[in-house]
Amino acid sequence: MDIFVDDLVQVWDDGGDGILALDGITHHFGSSKLTCLLGPSGCGKSTLIQIIGGIERATRGTIRIVDPAAPDAPSARPGERSVMMWQNLNLFPWRNVIDNVAFGLEMAGVPRQRRYARARELIASVGLKHFEEKQCSQLSGGMRQRVALARALIMDQPILLMDEPFAALDAQTKIVMQEELTRIFEQTRKTILFVTHAIDEAILLGDEVVVMTARPGRIKEVIKIDLPRPRSQELINSPEFGELYDRILHLIREEVLNAMRQQNEVAD
Amino acid sequence: MAEAPTLKRAKRKSRDPLWLRILPFASVVMFLGIWELVVRVREVPPIILPAPSAIASYLVSMITDGSLPYHLAVTFLRIVAGFIVASVFGIVLGVFMGMSRIVSRVLDPWIAALYPLPKISLIPLLIIWLGTGEAYILTISAITAFFPVLISTYAGIRQADQGLVRAARDLGANERQVQMKVIIPAAIPSIFAGLQLGMGVTIILVVAAEMIGGSNQSGMGYLLIRFGQVMETEKVFAALIVLAVFGGVIIKTQERIDRWIAPWAARK
Repeated sequence: MDIFVDDLVQVWDDGGDGILALDGITHHFGSSKLTCLLGPSGCGKSTLIQIIGGIERATRGTIRIVDPAAPDAPSARPGERSVMMWQNLNLFPWRNVIDNVAFGLEMAGVPRQRRYARARELIASVGLKHFEEKQCSQLSGGMRQRVALARALIMDQPILLMDEPFAALDAQTKIVMQEELTRIFEQTRKTILFVTHAIDEAILLGDEVVVMTARPGRIKEVIKIDLPRPRSQELINSPEFGELYDRILHLIREEVLNAMRQQNEVAD
Repeated sequence: MAEAPTLKRAKRKSRDPLWLRILPFASVVMFLGIWELVVRVREVPPIILPAPSAIASYLVSMITDGSLPYHLAVTFLRIVAGFIVASVFGIVLGVFMGMSRIVSRVLDPWIAALYPLPKISLIPLLIIWLGTGEAYILTISAITAFFPVLISTYAGIRQADQGLVRAARDLGANERQVQMKVIIPAAIPSIFAGLQLGMGVTIILVVAAEMIGGSNQSGMGYLLIRFGQVMETEKVFAALIVLAVFGGVIIKTQERIDRWIAPWAARK
């Protein structure tokens, strides 16, 4: 699905003039591409994908979500063709693994046997076979990520929105999950928007990296990542990767310094 | 995975040396020993302070002649009845208040006015209206337990994790499903906390109501008052011990049931 975002503005109500969180975001997120949104914390990257996912409403601007195979069909509503994987996962603590994964199908009224069969397939596909009956609190961080991923994938939506899902993982687990996501992306060719603040993660995963400015969030630069797929962690040692890293680091450093300056001004 | 909790429990036990583990028992035995000694050496009249050994022998005879079990059973049934009435009304109204702004606005002034009122001060009025029979005991205990249950339920519903609500909506849940499948389960830890408070006050109020005006001449409260009036101090102590143990058992059993129904809540 192609996502066309046009002049998106988000103002948070603070009782006064409001806080400008997003200021005129215009971008085309390519169909079947994995786009990473990168920026200093508080730049509004999470807000942006929540608006695209229909979870937040934008103050102004339009979003068009269209199937490139049927370009004349009317745009889908935000959220209609997408599913979100949350930064803090938002697993339901009173449900075990399979009932978390099958939640979306249960809400859609799919009978138990059918939704369990489908949930089992997805649980196996993210490597959690035999953990169906476990409570989520009994699982490690990486396994909980897999549950959340399976719960999103079961919705079978063409767009997957990911809000810093791997930020809280330890370095090794993170690598495994990145490889898992790369594999799923290369197999399914979903349109994925991936919010992150890790430069190496953005380069490793993305077809494109959208670098955002500190508050108010604007698009500072869009960098194409033409590294060949399938990709793996070894890529990090290649000179192309190093070049991209330096370039993005340079952009991000400016913005992080900007963000810090803003915070200091507020503090003064 | 499955043996992790047992392992932990075993470890915790074995970490404490033996003398530390028997300290609670030793403390009780020591206390009783000193009590017995003081009463015997100083020849304290049993009307003021009977010896533990005398209390124990009265306790045994009251159990074997069936009077203690009978009155305890009566009190227990009254507690259960009051608690169930209070729980049903408290939970149902609390859920409605949490879900509907209209209901919460209508009930708000009544709760604000009645909650801080010591419920025991309603006893004269209730005796005028209901007499001194079972209806009066049930009403006073149910009214008292109703408020903590209602308020905890309401708070639990209002404070349901908004992240989970958004996640459920994103996975296709409609408003009704969000309420039934997310908000109510999310409120269960808080509801259970309210039920535990409610049980505590039900025990207090049933015994108090049996003391003041209970015309059926039954129950532990009645027993205590009667023994007190004729200065059978040994029996007063025996009844108190039974009541203390009984209260402890009820509260612990309730915690067990809560943990069994909602194991995720205990870990929070």
